[in-house]
Amino acid sequence: MRIRTWIVRIWPLVPILAALLFTIGLLVLFGADPVEVFQAMWQGAFGTQDKTLSVVAFTIPLLLSSLGLLLTFTAGLWNIGIEGQIVMGAVAASWVALFMDATSPVLIAVEVILAMLAGALWAGVAGILKTRGGVHEIFGGLALNSLAIIFTNYLISGPWQPPEGGSFFGTVPFREISQLSRFADSRFAPFSLLVAMVALVMVFVALRGTTWGLKLKALGQNPRSAFLLGVSSERETILAMMFCGALAGLAGAVRVLSWYDNLKQNISGGIGYLALLVVMLAAYRTLWVPLIAFFFSAVLNGAITLQLRTQLHSSLGGILTGVMVLFVLLFGSSKALGIGKSSEDEALEPDTSEIES
Amino acid sequence: MVVAVGGQKDSPLLIITSMLATTIAVATPLTLGALSGIFCERAGVVNIGIEGMMLGAAFFGWLAAIYMNTIFDVAPLPSLLVGVLFAMLSGGLFALLHAVLSITYKVDQIIGGTVINILAVGITGFLNRQLFFEKGSIFGGQVPHAPGVLPRLQIPFLVDIPVLGRIFDQQPLTIAAILLVIISHYVIFYTPWGLRMRAVGEHPRAADTVGINVSFTRYANVIIGGMLAGLGGAYFTLESVPSFEPLMTNGRGFISLAAMIFGNWTPFGAWAASLVFGAAQALQINLQFYRELIPDQWAILQNSYVVGLAPYILTMLILTGIIGKTTPPAADGIPYEK
Repeated sequence: MRIRTWIVRIWPLVPILAALLFTIGLLVLFGADPVEVFQAMWQGAFGTQDKTLSVVAFTIPLLLSSLGLLLTFTAGLWNIGIEGQIVMGAVAASWVALFMDATSPVLIAVEVILAMLAGALWAGVAGILKTRGGVHEIFGGLALNSLAIIFTNYLISGPWQPPEGGSFFGTVPFREISQLSRFADSRFAPFSLLVAMVALVMVFVALRGTTWGLKLKALGQNPRSAFLLGVSSERETILAMMFCGALAGLAGAVRVLSWYDNLKQNISGGIGYLALLVVMLAAYRTLWVPLIAFFFSAVLNGAITLQLRTQLHSSLGGILTGVMVLFVLLFGSSKALGIGKSSEDEALEPDTSEIES
Repeated sequence: MVVAVGGQKDSPLLIITSMLATTIAVATPLTLGALSGIFCERAGVVNIGIEGMMLGAAFFGWLAAIYMNTIFDVAPLPSLLVGVLFAMLSGGLFALLHAVLSITYKVDQIIGGTVINILAVGITGFLNRQLFFEKGSIFGGQVPHAPGVLPRLQIPFLVDIPVLGRIFDQQPLTIAAILLVIISHYVIFYTPWGLRMRAVGEHPRAADTVGINVSFTRYANVIIGGMLAGLGGAYFTLESVPSFEPLMTNGRGFISLAAMIFGNWTPFGAWAASLVFGAAQALQINLQFYRELIPDQWAILQNSYVVGLAPYILTMLILTGIIGKTTPPAADGIPYEK
């Protein structure tokens, strides 16, 4: 009995160890020294103050998107369209940053609000397509992602092209006053951390302590009984999508206003898909989300320097995170991690019974 | 996919036949992806990992072809055929992973598919860099000469038809895709195999009761589906262009899922839908040839981005049921437990 509880305790570590072993195997296969590689990754993530700040700065939009996804997952929705919502938020913020004349605080306030609105509206479209059109949010979301990306490319290569006709890759850099002020020449803007913390507290409270959170849970766990209890699935579905979209839009704004300083192709950099993995690894537990987002950010940023030191390409970071999730899926029993499903009826809903610290 | 217009540059008929030929060719990965989805979902397993399976297959097929051609000194055509084989094999392996996750471990099938998509991007990106571009790699830091692309198969007699003959001048995977549509239709609706597949997708318990091995049937069909997706992946690097680029499938796997739904989970329906999406893509590719034919009040259609939006808007209209109503298999996405 005691051995069993002990095994249950350490079980969540097993997939992480397995992923590490797999990656070490891959490194050995390519003739690299694993110790050197992990040292290089550590140096790349935390070697200097600037690098550590980059890790934090990359974490923030990832955390915001993951928090949004917690809401939609709780309501049993697969908001894979989050990628497009991030892009639309970035586009809205860029529009203000490029064309509005005002003082810096006003500009930033308008940028943030419009970015959230744009993300929320884009998510709302997916929500309405689901409730009114019967389009599964995955397919609606994927189509909306493509639309958002094509729209960005159109803006960059058309109306928002730099005047010198120059690059196909982005707009002109925004004016200093329209960007978030950064800490010590890094990519990290303290204001964005504040916003992310507020969002974290709000999502935590909304899911733990409000009727709305309870309604979302009911909807996610058992739509039929939620309906019988008088929860409007249409209203809650669209609301959950729109709040998630607002947070994703905010993430997009942070990407253009602090991580970069202009609107680029591929502005989201796959953060939306990464956020899906963060939430899965956190097993839908709110307070685990920031830790895992930070861990992913450290691995991915650490991998960038890897290339300079060891001639291993930075996509190794992507493999490491992907394999980790894969092993969590394979090893994680549904009891220990709340991911795998056992009941036939609940097959398509994420398990939310373990939303706790 | 450059269209040779030749001397009769302005003949609208020639533009139209060229466009049709392009449509049929670019619909190939969509058709194969949709067939892949049909095999998986008819057996009750949702597969949104088709995008990743295609990308992985595009890379490994291309890699195998290059290995055969440069390291083992095999002639280009056999190298390419080995490449196609490896593409199907790697598609099948990715599908095996999806099957283990979703059938044996009963992991949520959407998560399984998403992980496959993300892993495929990471693995192909990493290996592409590591094998070809880094110093000390197998190909010494430079991209080797690829053995080209699969040759065109001019269908006898049909290619000799004036003007229209151009449509029948296609490459092997395109023709294979069309044949596979017909074969799949026969297998799914007229063989015991197809009956078992549909039974476990509609009502696994009933199928189990009459002695059908639900697990085996699902495994087999998901792997067949993966191999079809792999063949679709081969189109990108062995038939369309002789090179690999990261992320080159560019959402085509997802569009093929929409084609599957639009086609109501039937091979011929999915093929028709793929042709519609292919046509939108062909319009975008060939915009330069007909731009001046567009009247000025429709000037917005002269922008290739606007034309590029068409397939996605079409997808949504189809999905909302504005154009026709579709029904998925009843047990689609639900793990079976005895």
